[in-house]
Amino acid sequence: MKKRTLQRGLGVFWWLTLVFLYLPLVVVMVFSFNSANSAAHFTGISLRWYRRLLGNEEILSAFANSMVLAITSSVIALVIGCLIGYGMYRHRHRKLGWLIVLIYLPIVLPDIVFGISEMTFFVQIHRLTGILQPGIETMIIAHVTFQIPFVALIVYSRFVGLDPSLFEAAKDLYASPWQRALHFMLPTIKPALLSAFFLSFTLSIDDFVISFFTAGPESATLPIYIWGAIKKGVSPEINAIATLMIGAVAIAAVLSLIFSYRRQR
Amino acid sequence: MAETSMALRSRALVAESRHLLFTVAPGAIWIFVFLVLPSAYLMGVAFMTTGPYGLPEMPLSLDSFRRLAGFGFLGWSPGNLYTLLRSLWQTLVSTALVVVIAYPIAYYITTCREKWRPIMLLVVVVPSWTNQVIRTFGWMNLLAPGTPLAGLAESVGLINPNMGLYPSNFAVTLGLVYNFLPFMVLPLYAAFEKLDTAQVQAAQDLYASPVRAFWHAVFPQTLPGLLAGTVLVAIPAFGMYVIPELLGGGKGMMLGNLVANQFAGSANWPLGAAGAILMLIATFIGLFAMRRVGKRLGGGEEVVI
Amino acid sequence: MTPSTMAPDTGTREPGTAQARDIDRRDVRQASSIDLRGLHKRFGKTTIALDGVDLTIEAGEFFTLLGPSGCGKTTLLRILAGLEEPDAGSLRIGDRDITDTPPHKRSVNTVFQSYALFPHLSVRDNLAFGLRMQGIPLEQRKAKVAEIADFIQLGDLVERRVDRLSGGQRQRIALARALICEPNVLLLDEPLSALDAGLRGQLQVELQRIQKRLGMTFVFVTHDQDEAMVMSDRIAVLDSGIIQQVGTPSEVYEHPVNAFVARFMGHDNLFAIQRSADNWVDTDLGRLQLDPAQQRSEQQGWLLIRPETLELGGDVPAGYNRLEGIVKERLYRGSRIEYRLEVNGVTLMAVASNLGQRLHAVDDRVTISVCPEDLVRVAA
Repeated sequence: MKKRTLQRGLGVFWWLTLVFLYLPLVVVMVFSFNSANSAAHFTGISLRWYRRLLGNEEILSAFANSMVLAITSSVIALVIGCLIGYGMYRHRHRKLGWLIVLIYLPIVLPDIVFGISEMTFFVQIHRLTGILQPGIETMIIAHVTFQIPFVALIVYSRFVGLDPSLFEAAKDLYASPWQRALHFMLPTIKPALLSAFFLSFTLSIDDFVISFFTAGPESATLPIYIWGAIKKGVSPEINAIATLMIGAVAIAAVLSLIFSYRRQR
Repeated sequence: MAETSMALRSRALVAESRHLLFTVAPGAIWIFVFLVLPSAYLMGVAFMTTGPYGLPEMPLSLDSFRRLAGFGFLGWSPGNLYTLLRSLWQTLVSTALVVVIAYPIAYYITTCREKWRPIMLLVVVVPSWTNQVIRTFGWMNLLAPGTPLAGLAESVGLINPNMGLYPSNFAVTLGLVYNFLPFMVLPLYAAFEKLDTAQVQAAQDLYASPVRAFWHAVFPQTLPGLLAGTVLVAIPAFGMYVIPELLGGGKGMMLGNLVANQFAGSANWPLGAAGAILMLIATFIGLFAMRRVGKRLGGGEEVVI
Repeated sequence: MTPSTMAPDTGTREPGTAQARDIDRRDVRQASSIDLRGLHKRFGKTTIALDGVDLTIEAGEFFTLLGPSGCGKTTLLRILAGLEEPDAGSLRIGDRDITDTPPHKRSVNTVFQSYALFPHLSVRDNLAFGLRMQGIPLEQRKAKVAEIADFIQLGDLVERRVDRLSGGQRQRIALARALICEPNVLLLDEPLSALDAGLRGQLQVELQRIQKRLGMTFVFVTHDQDEAMVMSDRIAVLDSGIIQQVGTPSEVYEHPVNAFVARFMGHDNLFAIQRSADNWVDTDLGRLQLDPAQQRSEQQGWLLIRPETLELGGDVPAGYNRLEGIVKERLYRGSRIEYRLEVNGVTLMAVASNLGQRLHAVDDRVTISVCPEDLVRVAA
């Protein structure tokens, strides 16, 4: 009896928390269709802010920058992180404390310190040598730096979860070192690589602070553009871009759900 | 025979070391060059003199630390100290609120049917997949003057008419709680899922009172998750930049904003670098403390970050 | 084992036509002998896994490495597979030295304790993995998979997913995956230890049957002496990285060379020899006559009395040793009855087949007949 009350109370609390979590997103989405230029009063449905988006060169280039940044950095981080993850597994009986510290450093460093370190470093290198001018290249470098640890840890934990005799079985069944990599290791860790890529991509898209400090004048990403727009004064146009981005996340969420259910089956 | 096997062994060792080098070196070098060196440079900047455009110059000095402590041309001012205390306070309050919300939520998910749990977790996590700036912008919309929430606060007399609920310290706390809630739910859920129900039943047998059963049997088992969640929430909350910048205004500034401001607008690199060092020290003290607590609890790997 | 029950004749099996790359492979029916000389292996600075192993395994033999955990049997097997390198010593299979040959170039296959089936591959692809790595074309791979599935009687298991198999099914797939490569030597690392008793007995018989049909050299590792005796042609008992005894199951069981082997083979009745002469020994049981035929030079050590050789009650035949004992405990085991007796203050175990005779009750005083020929001297 008492337990039922507790359970019901928790249920109510759950739904309230969901309202808390989704209310800000819903408000953004609803007001993106507002015909009036107001964040407080909804006057009618219109697509005028979306139409305005399509004509905005700056937004389109910011979108392109975001995509180039996320995809390029994720691919580089996947290769480098996958190698480290395998190295950590293969040599896990050695003393690799320094490597663990190095790998956790990008994770524990506060974003703002991370971003400013990179920014001051790139500025000075550029002043001294003329290379690494702040722009999309420096942003890619910075993003790869914080993506590597996540890829490495995902790959490493996948290897640790495997039966060690699988590696020996592959040797025993005549697979040469390259064949082992190609026919055993890569296919076995494929799910881990997929989720590592997905996580890297999300981290890159979700990042603002580090991008903000390493960006150049020509390389604004969507979050940087939105930031600038907010600072200049709230405009319903931002609601429209934000809605599109939320929609992309929602699609990704549904896809990941389908993916995980299919894997279970 | 002995010599050949020795030679064989050392050859194998060389091969293994080369393997370690080829796999680990690219990433290790990357992180070293693009993070360790820049951080070291930033540390160095803190000990330099501020030049005319805010850029660092020789000679070395401790001037920036004096400035950070509040000593300026006009004597001592408490502004920076307030910012530091505000950062600590916001971290403390928002982490505590996150725990209060996340604990029952994580428990509730484990009591639901197994096939719903992945969806429930996903539903909690998905908002954090959207960009931080957008999420915070959502709250700006909700708390702006003239919105129902602001109207409610106005009618109760919390704020003056025609004011919004932001910029304010309250809005910053709200933004932090909103931002970090999923990071607490996930480790707590993992802890609840591993919960040894036999212990709970035994406790109920022995103590009878549900409160004591919870306190003696359930709570200690969820501590490692709670600790992991605290690390994931408190440390980034302390260094937060976006939320206080958008929701806090001048009176809601946190340490991250103080540091960032020295690299934009009114530049003062050495002062900003000194602030960054302060932030790092606080972060590592926090991590170290959590680690100590985690070890004392004999907690699992997830605690030892 | 009746040969007529074995369905398809091995003679119809194609010999390994696709000779792949540089792997040294021989025709299966000319199974290879194994020759190990002076093998040493240590882990770290202190742990000695193998301390000078010399061993010859005959071609086509079912050979078992038996010993407690940590005795070095698994290390020896892994050295044979090439998964571990010996610190010293040499290893020949057939007439070729393979001490320095990496595992993927050895015509040796292993059935792992955990079976090690690749989770990302179907059963069919698991079976074909070794052939594919050797570059054998698809058509031949298909034919061989069908052939092995028929031979091991896998039925529709080939179409299943690896994670949908039971323990026994995994075991059979692991065996088939190794056999399909037609290695010169098949290594089996405690392959039955994860299975329940009934299935285990069944697979023991099946494994032995497969080995005899293929005439392949099997090297089997186990810590279970019953399993070793049931299956093997010969057994090597290992302890502390040293081979204690090599022999047929009956040799090792009936004539263990030392107390360790005797105890490991399950013998309880071991008595320290206090004094001895050509044809008698003194132990706590008293003086016992021995068969002079099996004298040993060393006089110290232990006397082994197998419980099943003792005769309880009735008259003592001429030339037999006579002991007097009290029944302390009786265990009724159905096919046999076990007695714990006390003789001169020491415990002696006796086992009698249950032939419907009168049972001795606890506290009964019984005479015990011991045939001198059944007494075995065992080194310390």
